[in-house]
Amino acid sequence: MNTGIDVVLVVILLSVLLSLASSRMMALVKIMALQGAMVSIAPLLLDEHSPLSNEGILFFQLMFLIKAALIPGLLYLAVTKVAIKREVEPIVGYHASLVVGLGLILLSAYITHHLGISLTGDAALLLIAAITTLGGGLFLMMSRTKAITQVIGYLMLENGIYLVGTALTGQSHSIYLVEFGVLLDLLVGVMIMGIILHNINRTFDDVDTAYLGQLKD
Amino acid sequence: MLEAIFFLPLLTGLLTLCLPVRSGRVVLMAVALLHLGLTGFCWLHAPAPHLPTYFGNGPAGVLVLLVISFIFVCIAPYSIFYMREQEMRSEPIFLGCMQLFLGTMSMAALADHPIVLWIAIEATTLASAPLIFINRSKKALEATWKYVLICSVGIALALLGFFFITLALDRAGIDVPLTFSALNEAARQLDPLWLRTGFIFVLIGFGTKMGLAPMHTWLPDAHSEAPSPASALLSGALLNCAFLGIYKVHCLMVLAGLGEFSGSLLIGFGLLSIAVAGIFILNQPDYKRMLAYSSIENMGVIALGIGVGGLGLYGAMLHLIHHSLLKSSLFLSAGNLVLGFGTKLVAQCGGMARLLPRTCLGFFAGFLGISGLPPFGIFVSELMILTGAIQTGHPIAAGLFIAALVLVVAGFARIATAMAFGPVREEVLVPEQTVRILPPLALLATSVLLCVWMPEPLYETITSTIAMIGGTLHG
Repeated sequence: MNTGIDVVLVVILLSVLLSLASSRMMALVKIMALQGAMVSIAPLLLDEHSPLSNEGILFFQLMFLIKAALIPGLLYLAVTKVAIKREVEPIVGYHASLVVGLGLILLSAYITHHLGISLTGDAALLLIAAITTLGGGLFLMMSRTKAITQVIGYLMLENGIYLVGTALTGQSHSIYLVEFGVLLDLLVGVMIMGIILHNINRTFDDVDTAYLGQLKD
Repeated sequence: MLEAIFFLPLLTGLLTLCLPVRSGRVVLMAVALLHLGLTGFCWLHAPAPHLPTYFGNGPAGVLVLLVISFIFVCIAPYSIFYMREQEMRSEPIFLGCMQLFLGTMSMAALADHPIVLWIAIEATTLASAPLIFINRSKKALEATWKYVLICSVGIALALLGFFFITLALDRAGIDVPLTFSALNEAARQLDPLWLRTGFIFVLIGFGTKMGLAPMHTWLPDAHSEAPSPASALLSGALLNCAFLGIYKVHCLMVLAGLGEFSGSLLIGFGLLSIAVAGIFILNQPDYKRMLAYSSIENMGVIALGIGVGGLGLYGAMLHLIHHSLLKSSLFLSAGNLVLGFGTKLVAQCGGMARLLPRTCLGFFAGFLGISGLPPFGIFVSELMILTGAIQTGHPIAAGLFIAALVLVVAGFARIATAMAFGPVREEVLVPEQTVRILPPLALLATSVLLCVWMPEPLYETITSTIAMIGGTLHG
């Protein structure tokens, strides 16, 4: 058993719980930076990935730069620009969210146990962390009203999917194509949502999605 | 060579973003024609792809490609003249994104690798979001936000689904490249549990993009707020690409012997979509939203047809073609109506027959077609799906299908009456123009023509598309 990966996975789980419990936007951005860093180094610590080619090293460096520096940096800019310090009225309160987060961990452990697949070594814990991150991101999107928090939830969901990808698929198929796909998704998250965020703020003087309720039947 | 079909619009699209409006329009028109030419070449000569691990020209893909290309050629001139009437600040963005959108959709149609298909469909979201937001109104903003957020989450789930399918391949312990064609050959050996899980995620993920209920909530907003040429493209072309993703995985399921499972899921989602759309159409005050709900209904019909199999498969493919033709024609006519009356409310469109006679002709002919009346193709395709459902032993589905169709026709009839007999308006804002009338009429005429005379290559492509999973024309 290799302890490096365990530490990383525990930090990821804690970051999910922290993000569910924090109301400050800046804190959320910092948590995302930490989570991005951990998620991007997790595959490197897995045993089966050990001998890396040159492109592999380059690719993981790029991944690290994007997930741990570029995206949090852009989020930081967005938060300072729209000048919101905290999420005032979440749909689900912070304590309740924390309980949901703990429940998610239990649920992921249950799912992973019942999948009935014998994943090698560390991968079982990896899958628990991955499903929790995925679920946490979805929950964050549904339970918060500020557009920027929803974007953060989406990015967390992406982190989760990236982890599931590393846990489940071997490197033999489509090397780096999976990673490329996740990068493209992040591009969507950051580019479009960033632009729209800016416009929501300008048009409504706020980034609360409660204002976006005119179109319905 | 095959790759040129999507590289060309992607390159010119980027170029158009920085060109002045006038030359941008010329480029758009030229690209539309060239794309149709390339597609025709692809049909006649079936050029080999440069990257066979990622792209291929399977029959389902080229069928969708042809539909996209044909519709684009009709929409391109219309949108140029539509944009002229509107004072658009950011027309280069519109023209450029139209081409990028065409490029990403063609890429989705030609992809053979699951992840490449996924990337292409994700890229369609990127390319089409600016088209919806182009008017920069509050409502357009809301529609774009919903579109991007809901579709991105949906598509993220589809990626998860493809991971599961890859896992099914890994656990089988066979070494084949990860392409749909290779997977289809090895289908029997794949791990069924993970294949099922993968299908559910792909269905929910791409189903969001395709507009299947209950994941359809972005669709009416996006289609009604986008400018009409963009709505026509969204409804007539984009939904087909998402459908193609589901269809390819469904084929894999059928070949793996799990067709029963995936088929019944498709039938369920299909019927739910038809029913939900029928209910919302019935009292819809906004005609563009009504057309959007009708798209949800038709996507439901296609899912149902694929789900029941047999003759239904042929019906579904036919339905795909005719729905694209008729719906994009209707959206283009709706665009003329928006320009002429400046409103999207049915109640304020009285006197259409007198003030906009040619638009009225196209609009009501389209209404007849989309409600499933002859001589338009949807009549034939719906009849085939119905027959298929009964032949393959799904009488309850057939009954529900008929009931939901009645709802839809009732909704259309209400709107047609309101438009014909509503309080008559005095004047129109922008008069009709032949260049904006011809494209919708051409689309309608094609639908009628395809009913009477189906070209041999088209017929053969449809039959070879469905032959893979046991569909025939003769039940």
